[in-house]
Parts: sequence; structure tokens; C-alpha cells
Amino acid sequence: MNRLLGLVGRRLLGGYSLAFFVFLYLPIGLIVAYSFNGNPLNMMIWSGASLDWYRSLFGLSNSLSENALYVESTGQLLAALRTSLAVALVTTLISTLVGTLTALALARYRFRLQGFYRVLLFLPMLMPDIVLGIALLIFFVGAGVPLGKGSIIIGHCTFLISYVFLIVSARLAGMDTRLEEASADLGASAWTTLRRITLPQILPGVLGGALLAFIISMDDLVITYFISGVDSTTLPVFIYGMIRRGIKPEINAIATLLLLASLLIASLGLYLRNRKPATSSDDHAHG
Amino acid sequence: MLTAENRARWRLAGLLSPATLIIGLFFVVPLAIMALYSLLEPGMYGGVEWTFYPDNFGRILGWADGSNEEFDVVYLQILLRSFKLAAITVLLTLLVCYPAAFWVSRQPERLRNFCLFLITLPFFTSLIVRLYAWVLILRPTGFLNASLQGLGLIDAPLDLIYTEGAVLLGMTYIFVPFMFLPIYASVEKLDRRLLEASADLGAGRWQSFWRVIFPLTLPGIAAGSIIVFIPSLGNFIVPSLLGGARVLMIGNLVEQQFLAARNWPFGAALAMLIMAAVLLFLLLYVRWQGRAALKEAAR
Repeated sequence: MNRLLGLVGRRLLGGYSLAFFVFLYLPIGLIVAYSFNGNPLNMMIWSGASLDWYRSLFGLSNSLSENALYVESTGQLLAALRTSLAVALVTTLISTLVGTLTALALARYRFRLQGFYRVLLFLPMLMPDIVLGIALLIFFVGAGVPLGKGSIIIGHCTFLISYVFLIVSARLAGMDTRLEEASADLGASAWTTLRRITLPQILPGVLGGALLAFIISMDDLVITYFISGVDSTTLPVFIYGMIRRGIKPEINAIATLLLLASLLIASLGLYLRNRKPATSSDDHAHG
Repeated sequence: MLTAENRARWRLAGLLSPATLIIGLFFVVPLAIMALYSLLEPGMYGGVEWTFYPDNFGRILGWADGSNEEFDVVYLQILLRSFKLAAITVLLTLLVCYPAAFWVSRQPERLRNFCLFLITLPFFTSLIVRLYAWVLILRPTGFLNASLQGLGLIDAPLDLIYTEGAVLLGMTYIFVPFMFLPIYASVEKLDRRLLEASADLGAGRWQSFWRVIFPLTLPGIAAGSIIVFIPSLGNFIVPSLLGGARVLMIGNLVEQQFLAARNWPFGAALAMLIMAAVLLFLLLYVRWQGRAALKEAAR
């Protein structure tokens, strides 16, 4: 009896978990399906596969009539994409550099303010977006900083440094410090030890942190929403605006392209994480 | 000539100064200014007057005497609704994730890794796109209504979007991965032998769960709950897309004050309340964690 109950329980659990994954992916799948629906009048009625919405997105000729052209302007969309990419690239560079330096400082030095710094670095990650967004808005307007790409980059860096710090710190904590000690004992300068011993070992962490910073920066909506200027709209803010103005089939096409990009980036991230550093197995052999 | 100790000190200062500068100037200072703003009098056309003015909080919490600002109970209602919806979101994500985490932890390695990939994928996926999917599903002419009408189950479209249920669904959907991973981490660490011991000693399934499994996975539940609660409480994207004007949360009020009503001090006061609540919950969590660690050490 108990065995039977166990079997039924396992089946139920399996079914529940299947439903869980359907819940996660069905909504996303719907967008993809709709993006290929050629029906220009009613998105919900399937009338054959078509790439019209993708063509219309990029201003290419398509089988839609002139008045079925929904997208405001391909130029605006591409400008938003360009702004997003520019902001994300600069933000990733700054926050990866600063976050890594900070992680090195906290992992390799003992000093009085260590606890204070740990809390200070945690807070930007936990602060609700909207609070940080309006605080930055008040600050920028008060300080006379024009709202634009620069203000968005600053805003993103304030909290992305913390993410990079956290990931690189985890990597540093798992690292064998004896190698660094040996390097110093053998007369290498601090700079040489950093360059030849520490950096190669934490590189996967640094790259992982950079990837995460890039993704979060590309996807940030709330903070950017408050501190982006009129002509510095990012892609998420642009899409948010489009949805607010009304549902158009082109949104499905943009969304599908974004989903494809995130799948690629996630696969890259997985690859980076699973790639074991070449030296780690040697460490144990010598230890 | 610098001594070795001095050199190390300079290096440390060099490593720390960029983060100190950026976080100090663009995080600590703006939050301090926001706190100051919340106590100043709103001026004409979105400005501020430099006079102490506690009525920004009074309007929300009920001590405005009416000489300057009216206390309006609607703000308190929206504040309470935000707490309620954030708490229910935590419960829903927990209900959705807990059984699934158990199932995933028991699968063979390859399937387990694939499942974990599927759960982390949304972290890389645009938030606005994932929310947009629910707009497509729930709106009056959306997927759900169209399907139900197509099947002849309903005659007129149901009221799905712009309800508290829609907001809860949207928040649960986007925060599920935040809850899953901490729970999975604690479920994965569960020692099978403890469960066997509990069964051998005659505990039923129910008893085993509440007396053994649940306490052991509590750290994961607590961590997941705090990570889901914080972004839910101040959320304004989900209620603005799925709640409309009918289901406002405190985040929507803040947005209105800053971008439409142009009453920045009042908006700052509302944001201060969100921040205070978040810090309070974090403090409670850290203290609870500290006590749990002490108990563990005393064992």
C-alpha cells in the first residue's frame, strides 16, 4: 500500500514538474508562433506562416498593404538597439574592471573597513530598481548632468559593479592562495603575481561577471526608464513604450529576435561556466 | 623609499578607490538626497521649497492635518495592497517551485542539468518580453479568451487582464527562477539518510516532511522569499502592464509623482517607504540567519 502511494506520489510530482516547465515556456512559445502568423488583421487567427513582420521591422518590402504598416519607424528601433549596445558595452567594461579590483582588494587584504565594504557592495543589488531610479533622477537633475547615454551608463555601473564583485569574489575564494605565496616567495613583484598567477585563475569568473553585467545592462528597464533622455531610449524602454501604445504584430517579431539572442548568450554563459580552468586539476596533483 | 607595508596600503587604496567613488557618489549620495527631498515642501512646477515639511509622509500615513495636504486613505490602501501582492507572490512562487525542485533534484544527471538550464534561461531572457507574453494571453482578445470562445466555453471575453490575479500571475512568472535556485540548492544538499532514518523510526510521510525536510530546506525558502519579496514590493512594470489603472501598486504611485504629477518630494517619500520596508526585511533576515548559524554551531 505504501509502495503504491509512493508510486502515485512520484507520478504526481512528475506531472506537476512537467506543468511547471510548460508554465515557464508556453507563454514564450506563443510569442514565437504569433511572430510568424501572416494574418494582418487578427493576430489570434492563424493564416499561414510568413516573415512579413520581420521584413516590416527592418523596413523591407513585404506582402502587407501600405496601411498595414504598424511599426513607428525602423530608424527608431535601430537607434534604440544601438543605444542599448553602446551603453551595455561601456557599462560592462567599467563594472567588470572596477568590480574585479574591488574583489581583489577584499579577498587579498585585511583592513578595518572590510565588513563595511561588504555591506556597501551588497546594497545596490538589493535596492529596489525604482528607488535607485528616482534617486539618480533627482541627483542628475539637481547636479545639472544631462540625461542621456552618460547618465544611463553611470546608473547601470552603480549596481553592476556589485554583481561582478560577487562573482569574482566567489572565484577568488575557491582559489589556492599558496600559488600566490609561492610566486611572492620566488621574488615576483605584486604586479607580476597578479598578471601571471591570479588573473589567469580568476579569468572565468571575470568573464562570467562581464557576461552577466552585459545581459543585465541590456535588459534593464526600470532604472533606465527614469534616467534616459528623450533621444537616448534603450531597447527595453522602446519596447515598453510600444506595448503601452498598443499590441502590434511587429512586437512579436522583435521579441522573438531578442529571445534568440538570449538563447545564444545563455549557451555561451553555460559554455564558459562548464569549461574547467586548465590549471585546477594540476593544483590538486601538486597539493 | 616606501616601506613594504606602506606600499601595500597604497595598493589597497588604489584597488578600492574606483568602487568607493562610483558607489559613494552615485549610490549613497543620491539616496541621501532622496531622503532629504522626502522632507521638503513641494514647490511650483516640480521644484522644491527648502522648508521642513513632514506632510509628505502625513498624506500617506495619516497625520496631515489638512492645512497643507489632505490625508487620503487611498495611498495607505495602495501601500497595503503592495505588501499583500508581494507576500502572495512569494507564496505562489514557493508553491510552484518547491515540488519541482524536489523532482529536478532526483533526476539523472543529464536530465537534471537540462532542467537547470531551462530554469536559468529566463535570467538571460528579456523581462519585458516575458511580461508581454502575458499581455498577449490575458487581454480581452488574447490567447486565453480567443481559445475559450473558440471552444464555445464562454460567450463574452472574461475580465482577465487589469486584475489583481493578472498582476500576481505576471510577478510569479518573472520571479519563479529567483525562488527556484535557492530552494534547489537546499534540497540538493538534503541528506537522504536522514529521511531513511526518519522513516525507519516510524515517522509518516507527513511527519517526515514537516519535522525533517521542511526545517532543513528552510534556509533556501527564506533566501528565495526575500529575493522575490524585494523586487515584488516596489514593482511598477508588472502592475502598469497587467494591472492597468485598476490595480495600482506603490511603484506606480512613485512613477506618477515623478513623471506625471511632478511632485518629487511626495514621490521621494513614497520611495522612502519602499526602501525602509526593504531594509527592515533584510535586517530581519540577516538576524534570523545569524541566529540559525549560531544554533548550527552550538549543535
